Amino acid sequence: MPNVKINPDDVMIKLRGLKKTFGSQDVLLDVNLDIRRGETMVIIGQSGSGKSVILKHMIGLLQPDEGEVAVDGITISTPKFFDTRTIRRKMGMLFQMGALFDSMDTGENIAFALREHHPELTEAQVQKVVTENLKLINLVPEFRVKMPSELSGGMRKRVALARAIALSPEILLYDEPTTGLDPITSDVINDLILDMQSKLGVTSVVVTHDMVSAFKVADRIAMLYKGRIIEVGTVDEIKNTENPFVRQFITGQRKITTEED
Amino acid sequence: MTWWQHPIVSVGRILVSGISNVGELVCILLRTIKCFPYIHKNIGLIVKQMVAIGVSSIPLLFVTSIFTGMVATVQAEFQFRDLVADKFVGTAACKMILIELGPILTALVLAGRVGSALAAEIGSMREKEELDAYTVLGLDTYRYLALPRFIAFITMVPCLTVISNCLALIGGWIVCVLALDITSYTYYTGMQYLFQPMDLWAGVIKSFVFGVIIFVLGYYHGLKAGAGARGVGVATMNVVVSSCLMILIADFALAAVLFK
Repeated sequence: MPNVKINPDDVMIKLRGLKKTFGSQDVLLDVNLDIRRGETMVIIGQSGSGKSVILKHMIGLLQPDEGEVAVDGITISTPKFFDTRTIRRKMGMLFQMGALFDSMDTGENIAFALREHHPELTEAQVQKVVTENLKLINLVPEFRVKMPSELSGGMRKRVALARAIALSPEILLYDEPTTGLDPITSDVINDLILDMQSKLGVTSVVVTHDMVSAFKVADRIAMLYKGRIIEVGTVDEIKNTENPFVRQFITGQRKITTEED
Repeated sequence: MTWWQHPIVSVGRILVSGISNVGELVCILLRTIKCFPYIHKNIGLIVKQMVAIGVSSIPLLFVTSIFTGMVATVQAEFQFRDLVADKFVGTAACKMILIELGPILTALVLAGRVGSALAAEIGSMREKEELDAYTVLGLDTYRYLALPRFIAFITMVPCLTVISNCLALIGGWIVCVLALDITSYTYYTGMQYLFQPMDLWAGVIKSFVFGVIIFVLGYYHGLKAGAGARGVGVATMNVVVSSCLMILIADFALAAVLFK
């Protein structure tokens, strides 16, 4: 578990009464959650329960039907909020499949947004950032010429992480970072998530159903069930919870077990 | 809902959906045009798209244009045989090719080749969350994806139309000399006879509009593509069908405006 000092009153991301419906399907019913500055919050829940939908609300890719999303004190869920660029530059996101730009090599993927947002940087400075970011994710600088199609699943996610941190975000969102990876590569990604917190001091939100990963990287864990956050707590609190739905999920049981069982 | 309300509701839904689709198409066009001030910053991306859309289409257009010119000339000679002088074969071929055949065939070929490719590319990027990745990185997809393709379409489609016209006229000349016993001089003077610069410009103006149509529909169907291989397949089919229909309708409307 990470060892970073977190102030419980300093909330970085605040979700209040979040509701979202797609067609006739109610995905989020009433989501309330506070994510503190500098902490790693892991949101767990079954596949299709709406975890990624919460993440997309946090970065403004989706707007809620009802409720409020505030990032660093700024409400971004109102139609009046147009300055999405400013808030997004505070945030980086690691997509489930990496979402690397297929037409660009690894170096270009990392450098592209940097060049556009910081035109004052010389090409040498941009390449320096690319090299540093590749080192941060434990890849040698020679990787910069590789095309995304030449990379394995784990490498794609690492490069996507390097791209996400290129703009020095304060918040990093991870959408199922270990899904589809072998246990060893998953652990490499987990270590990188911890590194990002300790070296860059970022606030992290990780969406996953991989409990090994969740227990390793989390400061706190929130469980999403049937459109609501039903439990929030530290790793130990979640491991020892009495909530049958949380117990069922973390132990991977098909049926709910209770104390009486 | 009672039985007599069903048709009214269905018609209403179709109307609302149609208006909504037109609105989305106009939005795509306006949001792309809004990015025009960034053209000079995206020169590299624009040139890349011009090569992909324009230069790469020349071999296909070469074959279609040459044979279209040959067929048009053979038909003109066959229909006019023993009715008018041989030189009018060149006149008819030139008029047909410059005003209608060149622009329309080029646009239809490009709708099939690059319009479908555009929808497949954007649909695939959407599926793989690349479009979201642009947004999350604070990059406007209209500036980096739509603008270069739009500029490439509105410049390359007219250029390819002019090339196609030339190739079709060369095709007509080849068939005249080799098969129809019409001399180069007769064909050439026939082409000049009744020629007006407006014939050429009308084709170029039409092809510009066709370029806009192929781009907007290609981009729209790419954004609307469903999930998986089937979704992308349906999107490419939709863009070809809708582009061909819109090109033919726009051709009629433009002909009425340009030659009234």
